[in-house]
Amino acid sequence: MKCRVLILAMLLAVLAPLQHAGQFRFPIQHDSVRFAVIGDMGTGKRPQYQTAEEMVRARQSFPFQFVITLGDNIYGGHSSRDFERKFELPYKPLLDAGVKFYASLGNHDGPIERSYKLFGMKGANYYAFTKGNVRFLALDSNYMDPKQLSWLRSQLQDAPKSDWKICFFHHPLYSSAKKHGPATDLRLLLQPLFEQYKVNVVFSGHEHVYERVKPQGGIYYFIEGASGQLRYGNLKKNSSIMAKGFDTDNSFMLVEITGDTMYFQTISRAGETVDSGTIQRSGPLLH
Amino acid sequence: MIKRTGVGTLGCFIALTSFVTAAQSKTAVKPAAEDTRGFNEFSTKVQQYVKLHRRAESAVPKLRHTASPALIAAHQQALAEKIREARKNARLGDIFTPDAALAFRHATDREFQGAHGKNARATIQQGEPLKNVHLRVNQTYPQTLPYTSVPPTLLLKFPKLPDEVAYRIVDHDLILLDVKANLVVDVLPKALP
Repeated sequence: MKCRVLILAMLLAVLAPLQHAGQFRFPIQHDSVRFAVIGDMGTGKRPQYQTAEEMVRARQSFPFQFVITLGDNIYGGHSSRDFERKFELPYKPLLDAGVKFYASLGNHDGPIERSYKLFGMKGANYYAFTKGNVRFLALDSNYMDPKQLSWLRSQLQDAPKSDWKICFFHHPLYSSAKKHGPATDLRLLLQPLFEQYKVNVVFSGHEHVYERVKPQGGIYYFIEGASGQLRYGNLKKNSSIMAKGFDTDNSFMLVEITGDTMYFQTISRAGETVDSGTIQRSGPLLH
Repeated sequence: MIKRTGVGTLGCFIALTSFVTAAQSKTAVKPAAEDTRGFNEFSTKVQQYVKLHRRAESAVPKLRHTASPALIAAHQQALAEKIREARKNARLGDIFTPDAALAFRHATDREFQGAHGKNARATIQQGEPLKNVHLRVNQTYPQTLPYTSVPPTLLLKFPKLPDEVAYRIVDHDLILLDVKANLVVDVLPKALP
């Protein structure tokens, strides 16, 4: 009897996340903002290609319009062949379908990437763009100089109060991974700005894992640095800031924002949902 | 007797510690005027370099945003070549002059010994620091070398730079890099602890 109960409990424990994953559905509203998030992907190796194939499959049921990248877009050499092997070929079906990419720069990215048209950076190492009711700010966390900080402040100040504000950059301000840890110096300067101007969500990479951090100062932080690279088992299991982590396979994120709600789903290279949920933007966004 | 010796040793230790602490803080905080002069000299040299860069840039075909990395690389190489030609006699310390070098060393000392020192060190460690790599003036920054994050609180202490150039850290050296030409403009060796 005891054995049966134990087996049942084990079965339930295994099935519960899958059941939850099965329950998750994007609303796919006609006027929503839908995008994918990838980071640390540009290796040109098999896991990157397999993760990209899974993104293509996911797009059949969730037609995302564009992709944001969290840096380390091209590892190693930056020749034409490198761009082809580490970007153009793995994401060819997406590029052919008209999916735009918006890149941010990681520590392995060369200055050549700024002018590469398919990365949407238009020659700048930091830039902003708007999609629907979402203001995106791509930052260069390799080099957060006073000029970039002042630009960021003015961008956040001038963004319509009704807009979501999403920042994305390479080095995470919070992290439960063992390899690098959080960029605390960067956090000293960015977190107060993010809080003052009500940034809603921040995406980073650098750590080759997926992590959803518990909200810090009302801001949701995600790490998605495993879309090509993977640092297996690198998350501290007992981290007090981690809401959800995944470090046993490559992954990417899908996001939909409609009105005051953001829906997100994190999918592994094998096509399994490893995290999902909704974020409700609450309260008036007063500066 | 033993007790008196103990107190004496303790007294000496406290006096010595106070002296060392005072000496350290004296080293860390240098007269501002001296550093300002060094930084001003550096900024003047940077402006002169930027003029040279702009002349070189006007002599090469304009860079357009393109889906061809080969075209971007060709532009970068052509620009770097023009700058190298114009600075063929460039030497270490042309921009980081002795006075400027001193000002930078004081600024880094203050930062790394100050309240943000721990965070600044962590930033460098977090960004995969390069070890045993030393770049030379007029050398192309190697494509395969990752960038070490420059602590943002340190950047607040350095003179602001025009868009053409940026500070970089390679090993313990501070590099002035031409970001469009991907070219090392000058090196301040062992600027960082």
